[in-house]
Amino acid sequence: MAKKIIGWFYSIIILIFFYAPVAVLMAMSFNKSRYGALPFEFSTEWYRVLFSNQKLIQAALDSLAIAAVTAVLCVVLGTAMMLGQREFNSRVKAFFNSLVVFPLVIPWIILGLSLLLLLRALGLDRNYAMLLIGHVVVSFPYAVMVIGARLEDMNSEIQEASYNLGANEWTTFKRITLPMLSPAMLAGGFLAFMISFDNFVLSYFLIPTGKTTLPIEIYSSIKFGFTPEINAISSIILAATLLMITVIAVLMRSSLMRMFK
Amino acid sequence: MKRKILNCAAVGLLLVSLLFGTAACGSSGQQPSAGGNGSTQGSADKPTLVVVNWKDYGSDNPEAVQKFESENNCKIVHEYMASEEELLTKLRTGGVGKLDVVLPNPQILPTAIKEGLLEELDTSKLSNYPNVYDKFKKLPESSMGGKTYAVPWVWGSTGIAYNTKLIKEDINSVNVLWDQKYKGFIGFRDDFNDAVMTAAIALGQDPNNPSDLNAIKNKLKEQKPLNKTYWKTGDEWSKFFANEQITVGLMWSGQSASMKKAGQPIKYVVPKEGAIGWVDYWAVVKNAPHKDLAVKFVDYMISEGFQKDWVSKGGPAPVNKVVADSLSEDFKKDAGITEDILNRLYFISYHDEEVKKAWNELWQEVKAE
Amino acid sequence: MKKKALLVSPAMFILIAFAVVPLFIMLYFSFISDGGVPGFTLENYARFFSKPLYLALTWKTIKMSALVTLISILVGYPMAYIIAKIIKSGREILLLLIIIPFWSSQLVRAYSWMNLLRDGGILQDFLAKLHLFKGGELGILFTQTAVIIGLVHIFCPYMIITSYMTLEKIDDSVLEASKSLGANPITTFLRVILPMSKAGIVTGAILIFVPCLGSFVEPRILGGVNGSVIGTVIQDQFFEIYGWNFGAAIAFILLAMVLVSMGVMSAVNRRGEENG
Repeated sequence: MAKKIIGWFYSIIILIFFYAPVAVLMAMSFNKSRYGALPFEFSTEWYRVLFSNQKLIQAALDSLAIAAVTAVLCVVLGTAMMLGQREFNSRVKAFFNSLVVFPLVIPWIILGLSLLLLLRALGLDRNYAMLLIGHVVVSFPYAVMVIGARLEDMNSEIQEASYNLGANEWTTFKRITLPMLSPAMLAGGFLAFMISFDNFVLSYFLIPTGKTTLPIEIYSSIKFGFTPEINAISSIILAATLLMITVIAVLMRSSLMRMFK
Repeated sequence: MKRKILNCAAVGLLLVSLLFGTAACGSSGQQPSAGGNGSTQGSADKPTLVVVNWKDYGSDNPEAVQKFESENNCKIVHEYMASEEELLTKLRTGGVGKLDVVLPNPQILPTAIKEGLLEELDTSKLSNYPNVYDKFKKLPESSMGGKTYAVPWVWGSTGIAYNTKLIKEDINSVNVLWDQKYKGFIGFRDDFNDAVMTAAIALGQDPNNPSDLNAIKNKLKEQKPLNKTYWKTGDEWSKFFANEQITVGLMWSGQSASMKKAGQPIKYVVPKEGAIGWVDYWAVVKNAPHKDLAVKFVDYMISEGFQKDWVSKGGPAPVNKVVADSLSEDFKKDAGITEDILNRLYFISYHDEEVKKAWNELWQEVKAE
Repeated sequence: MKKKALLVSPAMFILIAFAVVPLFIMLYFSFISDGGVPGFTLENYARFFSKPLYLALTWKTIKMSALVTLISILVGYPMAYIIAKIIKSGREILLLLIIIPFWSSQLVRAYSWMNLLRDGGILQDFLAKLHLFKGGELGILFTQTAVIIGLVHIFCPYMIITSYMTLEKIDDSVLEASKSLGANPITTFLRVILPMSKAGIVTGAILIFVPCLGSFVEPRILGGVNGSVIGTVIQDQFFEIYGWNFGAAIAFILLAMVLVSMGVMSAVNRRGEENG
């Protein structure tokens, strides 16, 4: 029990650390000063401004869509790759792993420009397909490495046993591997989502003319200063997500109740 | 079982945001000119003019856009640039033949002209061109071989701004940036051009053609410990200033004016030693899809109506003489745009790649010390 | 070879076609002269190694990244352990709660840190209310400390997640067995838990250390006058001057350093496994 109390105490401190800047961001969306100056003066002005800014809302929705597609693609590709690479020896695996870290080391600006030059070489215009590919490439390491950490040393005896009992590949995957991997797939997907959702450089170089995403709007604004409507839309997204998590938590209420017993 | 519910819910979360997003994309697809990957889709009824500029920099003001759109039965789409050099990248990597109007500055204009990225302009087609100050027309970067490729739009300076609530003395010298009294409250700009040129002004060297880079480097190193921080973007400056982290520093005339309008206790001065002056130009891209419309747009940008409207909203100084003459002396003094100031400015001229590289490396060394 | 091996092909295709191949374009750039003079040259690489400036900044960046990685392990691993082995119920919720704050702009969060950490800012007010801070200035913002705080904040979740993924897999019965065999908690931790969760720590460390080498937003905004790192230099080559060639050269030097050290690590690992 004492362990649990210490555990919760530590968790709460960490959560405070993680949420501190986000809380400030949310507070600033209700602050009257456009430059985030204190003392705090309550105002809903920036939400009013936001709701009349169709372009910004559209940009946020497009960013969500791009991030969600990226996350799904990364998880599917990453899971497949991790399952497949178990068939290779450690040298080949090391080669795969170094390919995966490429997008982590190379600055995104270089990757973005390279993809733009590739588009030129192919004689194509900037388009959403290439933008998605770019997002997948940079988000992929995060998804695949989380899945890989989970799969590492996962003993294949269970799978062998499953085969021996006559289960086919698909059944084994569905019954044994997938449940085992699903937490990592989810976490990897959320990380990939997060990388894509905040990616400026790749979107900037690859997005079709006249289109925009939330990070493009934010980064283009900093030359002269962005207004707190950026804080407002970020707050709405965060609040909506937290709300959904609360709903999930309530669905699991019983397990939360058990904790206090 | 619990885990299963949770996993389903989390997957649901991702899918909901996915649906949400695609539905939104779908709805936007019904607007003309959106959707697909072509900038010219929907142009059957209305031509779409693609303009590249800084965000929130005059030409994308919704009212201004709407006025031009309805007068010319067209649609304006803005693309934003991240830096001048990056605009050059945009033009080199597929901008030619796709973009219509861009906003290059003297740092990249000669390169862009030489590489054939810009269209030659027939200034007789610009009805408002005769009203533009000769001083700006004569700056060498906008033309080559007697042909004009760019039209001056607005100008301003990079001088000293300070907090009048916290600093009571009248500041009029660039040496304030080297004043021990303000140690820990100064905000110098993180930009190699501004840094080198400002140090040159303080040392009495020609800012566009400094004679002693070593002295400049030492001067900048001497200045470094006095700063609170270096600021890079206007956004940083305004936040540091509003929170009183910075009380005095290098700043643009235009942003000082708009911050003052927003109620900040800020005063802008062009120091007696002089300051860096800059001009923004419009240019039409080579093989622009809508060349005639592009020229009309440039003409609109330097028209009395547009220039007057923007300067009254806190924009930078107009190049249109008629507009400038109509402004009150007090207003011009506040905004740092009087004739007297104009004559004290050193307008940034073109520097070739070697010079830029040397200046950039010098600045990196100062910062890394 | 089993047909299952084919599962790697889609991912490999995307990585090779859209990361490696385009990078060859940049690799080519890094071997031509900045001045646009055609022909092969090593001058961009030579420039990096001939100026103390770039080596010093690279070394500074490596130290900074190592520190961020170390702190993230010290902060994140216990958190992962607590979620996986102590709290248990509602742990997926906790994991989600850890990721959610990062569904916002890095840039906007950096400004939030500025508001929190600055002199007379929110943190100072808060500490003063608790009587933990008296007078004077907090002096955190625009120092290396502020940069580290900002970077740990961004990168720590990776450590928590990857460590959690391996810790959660360890069966409680293993721990009980260790206990019943008379091992004290420290021995259990060192001999059982740590080896079994090593993969998670290593993966997390890579996901933190490597991107940290290229970071530039936090160092510049929170680091004040001494905020330069190699990431800001690379960024400047692309946005401030037309220095693609040199910028690409620096990036490839970093890439080579990372790949070599990863190669060494995995070789050491293999030998260790063969001998063990």
